[in-house]
Amino acid sequence: MLRQQQPPARQTGDDIWKTRVDKISAELFTLTYGSVVAQLLKDHENYAEVNKHLDKMGYNIGVKLIEDFLAKSGVHRCGDFRETADTIAKVGFKIFLNITPTVANFSADSKEFSLIIDDNPLAEFVELPEDAAGELWYSNILCGVLRGALEMVQMQVEVTFVSDVLRGDDVTELRVKLVKYLEEEVPAGED
Amino acid sequence: MSPTCQFPAPKPVSSPARQNNPLYIKNCSTTYPDLKCHYVAHTSIDLIEERISATKHADQYLGLLYAMEELAVFGYITNTRVKFIIVTSLVSDVSIKDQDMKNMFRRIHNAYVTLVSCPFHDPDGKQPITSPAFEKAMAEVTTI
Repeated sequence: MLRQQQPPARQTGDDIWKTRVDKISAELFTLTYGSVVAQLLKDHENYAEVNKHLDKMGYNIGVKLIEDFLAKSGVHRCGDFRETADTIAKVGFKIFLNITPTVANFSADSKEFSLIIDDNPLAEFVELPEDAAGELWYSNILCGVLRGALEMVQMQVEVTFVSDVLRGDDVTELRVKLVKYLEEEVPAGED
Repeated sequence: MSPTCQFPAPKPVSSPARQNNPLYIKNCSTTYPDLKCHYVAHTSIDLIEERISATKHADQYLGLLYAMEELAVFGYITNTRVKFIIVTSLVSDVSIKDQDMKNMFRRIHNAYVTLVSCPFHDPDGKQPITSPAFEKAMAEVTTI
């Protein structure tokens, strides 16, 4: 039986965005995320804490989002980590944020890569206050989302921000590191 | 056209308490002192209030409010009661077109909207605006 050839990832992402995705106002989304971050800052006052909370929130979102993603995109299991990176950038980000970050800086052992985001819809209109500029990763929720989503497909990853245009850097860059593939674990107590 | 343009002072009136304090004042000219800008701005506010209470203004652009000495004052009010005021010095052989003024006000308004959309900006109406992006936008508007 011939294996059906998958159309190129970028085309799939585009098609799905155009046909199967419900859309909302970009401003509404940006303002909502902005008020989440502002509220977290008021509640915690400590930028490291806020980063951690954003990551946790993202994780919870990612764990659920992956199901939606797999249902909408129907992509097959990725052969290797490079394919994973491609799928995340061209299909994942495209479907949910309508952006296509660039995959770059693959490490020699193919276990780490960078995502370079050109214009981040979360950070539209945002100006960081001076004291936040050194410590707050404004879009840290994205790190959590990727971590949660990939964990549900048996990959344990670490995702961190490397640079952010809101902080005055040239590009917004995320670093994704594969820690290990998760084996199916037998729950304790069963043999 | 190059009138020496002294610049706008947006003044918010938050709906319960009408505060009318200047949020941002930029003085582009070298001949007039800052104090004069404040003075002109405050008098303009009174005029604006008069204008809007007198007629039921559907339009945001208020046009030439008044002219005194060699200064002409133009006003613009948003639906949230934030007022923008541009003061220009009258140069006798150059007439200032309404359309140009409207364009300037529109750009200021857009810059203001961008500023307010920032989640870290607190529009409580008491503190002056310190955002560098807003200042950059204002500098651009005033250097035409």
